[in-house]
Amino acid sequence: MRIVVGMKWVPGTTSVRIDPKTGTLIREGVPSIVNPHDMPAVELALQLKDTYGGEVIALTMSPPPAIRGLEYLIGMGVDRAILVSDRVYAGADTLATSYVLAKAIEKIDKEIGKVDLAIFGQETIDSSTAHIGAQTASWLDWPYIYYAHSVKLIDNNKVLVERVLENAIEDWEVELPAIISTHMKALKPRPVRLINKIRYKVEKPLITWTNNDMKLDPRCTGLKGSPTIVAKTVDVPEVPRKKVVYKPKDGEDAAKWLIKTLMEDEKASKALIKALKEGGAK
Amino acid sequence: MNNLPDLPTKFDVIVIGAGPSGSAAAYLLAKKGFKVLLIERGRGLGDKNLYGGRVYAPPIREVWPELDKEAPIQRWVTKERISMVQGEKVITFEYKAEKKISFVSYLTQLSQWMSKKAEDAGALFVTEVTIDEIVMKDGKAVGVRSGPDFIEADVVIDAEGVNRLLLERLGIVERLKPDNIALGVKEVLKTGASNIESSFNVGPNEGVAWVIMGDVTKGIPGGGFIYTNKDSISMGLVLHLKHSMNFIENGKFDEHVSKLVEEFRFHPYFRPYWKDAIISEYGAHLTIEGATHFMPSKFAYPGLLIVGDAAGLLLSTGYTFRGVDYAVYSGKLAAEAVEYARNNGGFTYENLETYDKNIRRSFMYNELFKHRGAELLMNNPVMMAKYPSILMRVMEKMFEGEYTQETIYNALMQALKEEKVGPFDLISQAFGMVKSL
Repeated sequence: MRIVVGMKWVPGTTSVRIDPKTGTLIREGVPSIVNPHDMPAVELALQLKDTYGGEVIALTMSPPPAIRGLEYLIGMGVDRAILVSDRVYAGADTLATSYVLAKAIEKIDKEIGKVDLAIFGQETIDSSTAHIGAQTASWLDWPYIYYAHSVKLIDNNKVLVERVLENAIEDWEVELPAIISTHMKALKPRPVRLINKIRYKVEKPLITWTNNDMKLDPRCTGLKGSPTIVAKTVDVPEVPRKKVVYKPKDGEDAAKWLIKTLMEDEKASKALIKALKEGGAK
Repeated sequence: MNNLPDLPTKFDVIVIGAGPSGSAAAYLLAKKGFKVLLIERGRGLGDKNLYGGRVYAPPIREVWPELDKEAPIQRWVTKERISMVQGEKVITFEYKAEKKISFVSYLTQLSQWMSKKAEDAGALFVTEVTIDEIVMKDGKAVGVRSGPDFIEADVVIDAEGVNRLLLERLGIVERLKPDNIALGVKEVLKTGASNIESSFNVGPNEGVAWVIMGDVTKGIPGGGFIYTNKDSISMGLVLHLKHSMNFIENGKFDEHVSKLVEEFRFHPYFRPYWKDAIISEYGAHLTIEGATHFMPSKFAYPGLLIVGDAAGLLLSTGYTFRGVDYAVYSGKLAAEAVEYARNNGGFTYENLETYDKNIRRSFMYNELFKHRGAELLMNNPVMMAKYPSILMRVMEKMFEGEYTQETIYNALMQALKEEKVGPFDLISQAFGMVKSL
């Protein structure tokens, strides 16, 4: 099996501060990391390789610092990594990004060998769109399945994918080639291995493709290929909390105290009455 | 792919830890043609600026003569200050130095520069890998194990730093005791280069190293520090852990340590230096005090050399701290011993032992024992409180008389009386103090 696994290099925290003047992320002092939700995808790819043999190729579209993330994945056991990087890819939304990724997968398929599966994480911690897997599948016209927990090969051309939903576990037969997005809690990633890190340094299994290699129409990539417009960002103001702790005797006492306390507050009492009316209560 | 037949699994030397000591050893050995594997547990990059401080250049220049030109130096220390604080009263000494022998640097940046040097010289440098064990066979270190991977080497150099998990596991050293540990709390205050240069009155690449004693620690042995980076000021406190615990147990101290730093930051004498600054980073970490107790009984074992902080090579004289240059220098001595062994019949214990001998002969070892008294002194709450207090009273009597002012002699005698110290005690203790410093 030849499996491509997607990786995004993201600021290593969910609490990145936003500059109140410019509305942009303050990245200073925030080291980047591999998007944590990509880790189950990498682990799934490596487990499939462990079971069925083949090759795992990590793929990212990013400026060159993402090489450090690709190195990490090679440390985990990924065979080689491809960085797709060019100025004309900068400023891309998910549509333009998935376009480049789909074209890169096609290029891998043509030049390196037939791709059976591409696996992505559920979403990224810095934008949380969960678009990339679905959009890449659309560009390639491959079947797509998400929230995957496990994958089994059932014959040469078909996998059985188990997805775990809130109230159901579903098994799907999916024809290959296909795109899968893993559930963010599907699998625990393996640690980096010393021998793989040595391999990274000795063999340098890393390829960089610029647009000279990709030969994509720049109107379809980067900012130009991105129809998404960020109209406005609003910084949600922090609500000052009252920080009151009440230890009730029982449930009735708790309810009474809560209603009494809320009714004493002008804003809260209005909201409470409105909510009760809308809810049909008297 | 799990068995990788073409990959090297045997090196001449494995260095554990890519801090200053490990990078120096790896650099020098790689330059001499040794096959070196340098392993770092961290990410090996300079994202954080919290860990930093003053670094002494001369021993490092012996390894990297290009240091002054190339290294990520924030500012050269050209001014030394020592202050004693009691409430709002402050006595400050300043010394303007002539030579540039020390500089302020962010440790992650400096380490990164050094490990890059090692890699450029030919060492194989890997990051984000934790070593689980130094593998021993027949009493000799033969390599390292990380998870399922065993990598063999003729010599292992342990540069794992203060937290010596590997040496503990081998039974070479014991776990840290509070007696040997101090807690450092630090804030990085961003204020801009021109602000620093005008408020400290220093040139564009020049800066200040400042030690503060007295009230800032509420009497807990330790002290405050301030030093200047390029466009920010690092300030904070070092508190001896054992004494802090005693203070808490005796009810003499019941505040969070961050509160102490806050009070220091708001002190009216110091505050103007970081007026309008923003706190860009803050944090705490443990450092070693009383390094001579911290040393392993030997610096060389069969197949194994111990360098840098792990070897207890950290000097605290009470007014200066040095560790980075000692680390680099110990790395150099380790590299020389490995080279000596290769040229003299192999990596036998007898040959590697030259490292142990050379450490004990070096300026570092001598210095560490010479200044041991200073540590004892700085660890003595009475000494740390009494003398500043006497001096403060003398100053007060000399300068704060509203109508009359005392002569120095009278001021001193009155101050001694008020502090209940006899003049002869003062002289004998002062003599003892000078001797140990």
